[in-house]
Amino acid sequence: MNLNTFSLALAGLVLAPLLGGVVAGVDRVVTARLQSRLGPPLLQPFYDVGKLWSKVIAPASHWQGLFVRWALAASLASDVLLAAGGDVLMCFFVQAASASFVALGAFCGSSPYSKLGAQRELFQLLAYEPVFMVAILCLAKAAGGFDALSIMAAQGPLLFKLPLLVPGLVFVVLVKLRKSPFDIAASHHMHQEVVRGVYTDYAGRDFALLEIAHWADVTVVLWICSFLWATGPVQMLVTGLVFLFAAVVIDNISARLTWRTMLGRVAPITLILATANLVWLYLE
Amino acid sequence: MFGSFLKTSQVKSPWLMHFDCGSCNGCDIETLACLTPVYDVERFGVINVGNPRHADVLVVTGTVNQRNAVILKNIYDQMPTPKLVIAIGACGCSGGVFREAPNVLGGIDKVIPVDVYVPGCPAKPEAIMDAVVVGLGKLKGILEASK
Ligand code: SF4
Repeated sequence: MNLNTFSLALAGLVLAPLLGGVVAGVDRVVTARLQSRLGPPLLQPFYDVGKLWSKVIAPASHWQGLFVRWALAASLASDVLLAAGGDVLMCFFVQAASASFVALGAFCGSSPYSKLGAQRELFQLLAYEPVFMVAILCLAKAAGGFDALSIMAAQGPLLFKLPLLVPGLVFVVLVKLRKSPFDIAASHHMHQEVVRGVYTDYAGRDFALLEIAHWADVTVVLWICSFLWATGPVQMLVTGLVFLFAAVVIDNISARLTWRTMLGRVAPITLILATANLVWLYLE
Repeated sequence: MFGSFLKTSQVKSPWLMHFDCGSCNGCDIETLACLTPVYDVERFGVINVGNPRHADVLVVTGTVNQRNAVILKNIYDQMPTPKLVIAIGACGCSGGVFREAPNVLGGIDKVIPVDVYVPGCPAKPEAIMDAVVVGLGKLKGILEASK
């Protein structure tokens, strides 16, 4: 590892979660404006995390703290991998581990809502992970390499080679950002039929760390989406914002679906589309 | 610097939990009206949460009676510290028109400590928002005193 890679990795470690926090702020402001409200300040997510950090509360289970820290470590590791130009597939696996730790921690809690949320989190994993993996395989095939650097150095926008990937990636973004209609395990809004789902039992400092892990995840997912138009940093940023905006709009105009619809209909359809794109790339 | 950021965040991010403790629904409707685009309390970072473990401010409407006193206490105990309690409406403050009823204990403060009282039958949304602001001022005072 040379010095350049090291500094990039360090930047990823520090900046990626911060970027995720800003994304959460933009999301809340845009959502408020769509509902003709003024909305909170842009830095509200940071205040929320600061507040949660300074709260004093006994954990629901002693294991939870451990799982939260593992989840945070895995999410930050996936950021570091991407920032250092590492293997995107590896980054995807590390990120999936983070989501599993969140579910495991929720299973340790005593609240039935937390357990139900954890089960739904596993269903979500089952639904979006295959789509996301095929999407990454497509990106790698189209760009000629699995490492982030070669995908970002690809000639021209990859979108034209991978049009069928877009519904799949929007689906992944919706699930990962915990947006309607796929905010099944936990809604990013605070109210739900299962209270706060997978997050119900996390509180105080653990919840603050979990929120930071979530920011890191959001950055990774939007970053991978931005590979579709990776001709320059500005283009990547715009592509990421387009995906974010699509997610916010869909969130505001749709109601929550059940996990059966997600797993039985949406996941297979997006998976078939993405696989068709992969086959097309191979036949070309 | 980190410490002062944490203190600012505590004042800037009050997540509130609303508990209907036997209200006639009048005060509940006024409380929920605060969340609509007309009043938009999210401007102040307020979010209405459904989970006491995530709540900072407990907003209680209605009287306490023999049955729901235990539940109210339970919700209060589950909240992380520091926490604020706001009693809404004549019922929440003192028992209101129901105070002479045989099963009614009285206002919220018969069971848990109350920080801010909001009078009115029902209390106006403006008064409820003002109560949150007053409560946060009180919290700020406590945080600064603990420096
Ligand atoms: S104060 Fe009035 S409006 Fe509010 S709960 Fe009591 S009776 Fe209903």
